Amino acid sequence: MDTRRRLVRIGSVLAVPILWFVASRFGLIPGLPSPGAVTTAYIAEFDRLDFWISTIQSTIRVLVSFAVAALVGIPLGLAIGRYSAFADLTFPALEMLRPIPPIAWIPFTILVLPAAELSIMFITFLGAFFPILLNTVQGARSVEVGYSRAAQSLGAGSFQTFRHVIYPGALPAIHAGMIVGMGLAWVNLIAAEMVAGGTGLGFLTWSAYTSGSYAVIIVGIITIGLLGAASSTLVRWFANWQIGWQEVEAA
Amino acid sequence: MSEPQSVTETKTESEPTTRTDATGAIDIDHLTKIYDPKGEGVVAVDDMDLHIEAEEFVALLGPSGCGKSTVMNCLAGYLEPTEGDVLVDGDQVTGPDPKRGVVFQENRLFPWKTVQENVEFGPQMRDNIEDGRAQSILGEMGLEGFEDAYPSGLSGGMQQRAELARLLANDPDIMLMDEPFSALDALTKEIMQKKLIEVWERDNRTVVFITHDVEEAILLADRVVVMTARPGQVKDVIDVDLDRPRDPEIVTTERFTELRERALSVIREEAQRALEQEESV
Repeated sequence: MDTRRRLVRIGSVLAVPILWFVASRFGLIPGLPSPGAVTTAYIAEFDRLDFWISTIQSTIRVLVSFAVAALVGIPLGLAIGRYSAFADLTFPALEMLRPIPPIAWIPFTILVLPAAELSIMFITFLGAFFPILLNTVQGARSVEVGYSRAAQSLGAGSFQTFRHVIYPGALPAIHAGMIVGMGLAWVNLIAAEMVAGGTGLGFLTWSAYTSGSYAVIIVGIITIGLLGAASSTLVRWFANWQIGWQEVEAA
Repeated sequence: MSEPQSVTETKTESEPTTRTDATGAIDIDHLTKIYDPKGEGVVAVDDMDLHIEAEEFVALLGPSGCGKSTVMNCLAGYLEPTEGDVLVDGDQVTGPDPKRGVVFQENRLFPWKTVQENVEFGPQMRDNIEDGRAQSILGEMGLEGFEDAYPSGLSGGMQQRAELARLLANDPDIMLMDEPFSALDALTKEIMQKKLIEVWERDNRTVVFITHDVEEAILLADRVVVMTARPGQVKDVIDVDLDRPRDPEIVTTERFTELRERALSVIREEAQRALEQEESV
């Protein structure tokens, strides 16, 4: 990348805190705490056990829900993409449920599920599940039939074709679904935590609102943003590690 | 001249005339393939008969859209005949089988596997990977040093060699090749043709080689089967009585020219017919 583009990009990143500083300094947005106040609040939060528990709790919820979504969504998506009879059986039902915004499930799941924890996890799961599922279906369907035929003519059975051809062939699409799914998992998690209450960064941010601690609200927002970015990076790393062959292709 | 002798032979005897020690004889018996038989019903192959000896090199030659690839797909077991049978050593073909290896026109190396993993794929399916075997086959194909490369990092000619190596590693009785060299440049093509003949002469495999290139067909094959325009049938079977090994210069000999003219005249006729067919639709 040439220097000019790099400078522009750095400028783009720096613009946010600068605008924030200007906006708070000149009172452009009433109530907006200054970067300094937020830094002080952040340092104070570091000393509070509750902040760390919330952070860890939210992270665990996202990771577990995401892992379950991947473990269910990927095999299901491969099967739907590969076997039209199975697709006819399951896909219309899933497609019917998909347009329901996951947050709309919150009241119902809180009532029905035995623990709020499960309810939050379920909502988070839904956020990651559908993007992973749909992309996997698409990926499995887009694998050229020639590859399956080649595998069969080399002696691969149905399962071996699945494992050595359909799955790796669908991986780029699966990864795209995982990256989107990770983002939506955080979106849904925070919403669920705000409504369901108890613990987590969503609840921490929400309770800061109810107590009027403007600076802590911003602390919550920043922490959530950082964790979201870190998880996306994690998924990208994993994806690149898993498909070295595509890197080669791109080079 | 265009009397299809070998065709009438197979029509009268449904039992394959395999030598006991050789495997890979193919009988195409009243093969008919109709796509979408309930709808418009495109007849791709119509009542085709052909007997191919074990260890024979047969080229299927015909104008584009003559159903060559359909025949190939039936031989490979990817498509089920609408009517008729395909038999290999007397057994009906019911699906793909590692005994019938396939080389495709567009390379079908698995992009997500390295060259070596591709070559070892067949043996891996039978838990039978021998150390060093892939390397020696790749070496034979001039691909040493590329074991760990991904197919996308290879040139077109190298990809085709790697695909041939993958096929050989699987030790098939029959090699089905669907215009395998048509995308290669002239020089690479010549090298590949030589390579193919080399392994064919050494390993005693049956080769069914689809091409629309008349010279290629005559240069390589024992017999050239010329197909009609759609619906595909056997129009003419040309015995190529040229001595082996055949140098590329053989194309300038009188006999080669005769054979080529004979094949070309049939093809021209069929191409013309196909054109008229299209126009009348």
